[in-house]
Amino acid sequence: MAAGIREKQRVALKRMLNFNVPPVKNSTGEPVWKVLIYDRFGQDIISPLLSVKELRDMGITLHLLLHSDRDAIPDVPAVYFVMPTEENIDRMCQDLRNQLYESYYLNFISAISRSKLEDIANAALGANAVTQVAKVFDQYLNFITLEDDMFVLCNQNKELVSYRAINRPDITDTEMETIMDTIVDSLFCFFVTLGAIPIIRCSRGTAAEMVAVKLDKKLRENLRDARNSLFTGDTLGAGQFSFQRPLLVLVDRNIDLATPLHHTWTYQALVHDVLDFHLNRVNLEESTGAESSPAGARPKKKNKKSYDLTVSDKFWQKHKGSPFPEVAESVQQELESYRAQEDEVKRLKSIMGIEGEDEGAISMLSDNTAKLTSAVSSLPELLEKKRLIDLHTNVATAVLEHIKSRKLDVYFEYEEKIMSKSTLDKSLLDMISDPDAGTPEDKMRLFLIYYISSAQAPSEIDLEQYKKALTDAGCNLAPLSYIKQWKAFTKMASAPTSYGNTTPKPLGLLSRVMNTGSQFVMEGVKNLVLKQQNLPVTRILDNLMEMKSNPETDDYRYFDPKMLRGSESSVPRNKNPFQEAIVFVVGGGNYIEYQNLIDYIKGKQGKHILYGCSELFNATQFIKQLSQLGQK
Amino acid sequence: MAVDITLLFKASVKTVKTRNKALGVAAAGDNARDELLKRSAARSKSDFTGRAREVISHIGKLKDFLLQHRKDYINAYSHIMSDYVRMTDTERDQIDQDAQVFMRTCADAIHQLRTEAHKGVQSAQVKEHRTAVLDFIEDYLKRVCKLYSEQRAIRVKRVIDKKRLSRLEPEPSSASKSPLSPEKSSQNLLEDSEEKLSAEESKDRSLPDAQSNLGLWGDGKGEDELSPEEIQMFEQENQRLVGEMNNLFDEVRQIEGKVVEISRLQEIFTEKVLQQETDIDNIHQLVVGATENIKEGNEDIREVIPQSCVLNSFVSLHFQLCPSVAFNSTCELTQSTEQCVLGC
Repeated sequence: MAAGIREKQRVALKRMLNFNVPPVKNSTGEPVWKVLIYDRFGQDIISPLLSVKELRDMGITLHLLLHSDRDAIPDVPAVYFVMPTEENIDRMCQDLRNQLYESYYLNFISAISRSKLEDIANAALGANAVTQVAKVFDQYLNFITLEDDMFVLCNQNKELVSYRAINRPDITDTEMETIMDTIVDSLFCFFVTLGAIPIIRCSRGTAAEMVAVKLDKKLRENLRDARNSLFTGDTLGAGQFSFQRPLLVLVDRNIDLATPLHHTWTYQALVHDVLDFHLNRVNLEESTGAESSPAGARPKKKNKKSYDLTVSDKFWQKHKGSPFPEVAESVQQELESYRAQEDEVKRLKSIMGIEGEDEGAISMLSDNTAKLTSAVSSLPELLEKKRLIDLHTNVATAVLEHIKSRKLDVYFEYEEKIMSKSTLDKSLLDMISDPDAGTPEDKMRLFLIYYISSAQAPSEIDLEQYKKALTDAGCNLAPLSYIKQWKAFTKMASAPTSYGNTTPKPLGLLSRVMNTGSQFVMEGVKNLVLKQQNLPVTRILDNLMEMKSNPETDDYRYFDPKMLRGSESSVPRNKNPFQEAIVFVVGGGNYIEYQNLIDYIKGKQGKHILYGCSELFNATQFIKQLSQLGQK
Repeated sequence: MAVDITLLFKASVKTVKTRNKALGVAAAGDNARDELLKRSAARSKSDFTGRAREVISHIGKLKDFLLQHRKDYINAYSHIMSDYVRMTDTERDQIDQDAQVFMRTCADAIHQLRTEAHKGVQSAQVKEHRTAVLDFIEDYLKRVCKLYSEQRAIRVKRVIDKKRLSRLEPEPSSASKSPLSPEKSSQNLLEDSEEKLSAEESKDRSLPDAQSNLGLWGDGKGEDELSPEEIQMFEQENQRLVGEMNNLFDEVRQIEGKVVEISRLQEIFTEKVLQQETDIDNIHQLVVGATENIKEGNEDIREVIPQSCVLNSFVSLHFQLCPSVAFNSTCELTQSTEQCVLGC
């Protein structure tokens, strides 16, 4: 796992695009061109990993959706990257019949069944195109890697595996089986790409347990099948030097419902919470200029801008986990250093102009030439830096606007206090009835967190009061009914709701930021310092990874696909702490948990964590799902 | 890890074939017609691909040609190499010219393909594809041209350095300012144009080195024709420099002589110092011996003292007062004993 999962998936994709031959570095190689055809799944997998420019570098002239109108382009090999579903297969057969391309390299995102393969064979025979089908591959890449250490299962059909789908009261067994199969298939692909067989631990009696049982079975079957095993020999990779196997912790969303609703303060989580952000792309609406439109004219047109926040964006990588005021300051600093560099280049330009009349300056001239060439070569770097600064300025400004209008800092602080069970200086009722703090959704979130974290339910009278206040503020009470049910089910609510006993310290108004004339005028926004506290998921991971004994996790089941006989026991065979762990949340996850895990593992040397979830939602989407569940 | 199921696919094809045969399904009856259709359609469009591939193979040939002669092109500068490996300048110029002609024809071919590519094609996708293909070919050409320009740049740089060394650099001395200023200004002009070219080329997209190379060649030609004034100035400067050189030479000689003397004197000095060392050693030995003698003398006197009460206090006083100072005590004691002896 020394190379992150992101790198591994990228390498696999590049190899696939190179006709399944490992690419050779050759700066003066002859160009080869090809066409890439993908479906929506393939698009979601490829887009966070390879940019259009990189696709071009690999020789791809066109990239098209499978189900679009495609014209025949002869003399061109076509690389397909699709899921083996019925409609995709049909469309591919149609392509074969229509002789669209010269040769076909078929790559299926997850394994294709024999019968579907025969369908393609049939179509190829019918079109007399069997020789054109050059290669067929099962890629086992059915998961989306967003960060070096974070992955989600899917984006397209997340309705199918959403929290709501799993926790619906009216779900049938077959539907559950399908959902579990989808999840297990993706997890299996993940481990094939990773090249490691994990030790699985999961809690009892949850959806996570079902996933664990199925995954264990699938891995076991694959290992036994010596001929076709995906985990033998070179697939384990030369980099697999650790003797330790990774730990897979499967948790269910239901152990911690408060975190997805929580208001957050770190950059990446804020962007996800407040703006339209998925698959590492954020879409902003920018209002054009500050001129007020003359009376009666059309309203100001809003530009839609979308930015990619990628691995190559150094500022993002450095600050995506930082608290927001720090981000604002850093943007300022970057801007200043960029301006200094720009001035340097301008100065050189002016020097060059004067240079001609100066005597005895020939030696200095060559020195300045060197300076000029270095300045010129650093120009693209400067431009890139400027672009990033602009990008982050826009994004951070948008986030800040939301924070100010909804008073998110107040909510954050309050929720932290609730979750850590410290004294509250303002009563909940006041917060809810406060008209200019936050949208109804914010208030709902706050109340739900309070409800979830309180050891006993508030009295009927209080509840009525709260309900009235919430309805006055315009909230929909459906989520509340669901949470009540949930609370009734999970009687062990006492343990997971202790979120640690630290409180955030407000550092008062950020006068320093204001004094530097920053664009980010953070008046009235508190500079809250995030103290390190472990969320429930992090705590569970800590217990399991360090083999600590804890009543919460002692009861977890233990699976080892490499053992000959599975056991029902939960006694782990391995007594040593694990070096690598993968946390997977069945039912959905979010960036707050991810950030918390990253912070936790930063303190430990030489340990790695991967975070995955079946879908990624922000609080808005989660509330929607809860409402739907509550309405039933 | 991807799994190659091509063989599985081929096996499926066989299964389907046998199944179809068994079921009596007509297998690819329209074979011949399809083939014809395919061929005719392919022929019109494969012109583009065929020509694109031709251009690529041409560029490949250029690349091979450049790489083949690259070693000779660059290495032959070290004149230590044997004769038959060395490449003359004319040969190099020939290579440069050929390469340039070649590159131009390739660029023209690409350009032509570009204009023709969009004719007779309805589909937007095919157009886009062809544009991208042509971009790739152009990129390939650029990379190969880079090879060429790199080695050319090395060659030109060496020539410039040689010329710079051979050209006499003006010194910033006030005396020779005026006759040298026109020369300097001409040099300045050359440098300026050089720098201006290099400044311009950075904005230019196309091969920057080629341009600057051409510019330098252009300026080089002007340099070769020296006007008579310049010749005279050069001669004057030559003579002045020769005189300076002679002076320096004499000075160096003098300094040499002085240095030789100094070294001799230093030798003598070290000798003397060594002699002194031995002398001091001797003296040290003598002193040590003298101290011993005095000590013995003191003891003897001490034995004698109790027999004479006059000397008692005198000698004991001296004895206590200065027991360690060798000479002093020796002198005093001898003096006092003399006195005592004389007195008694």
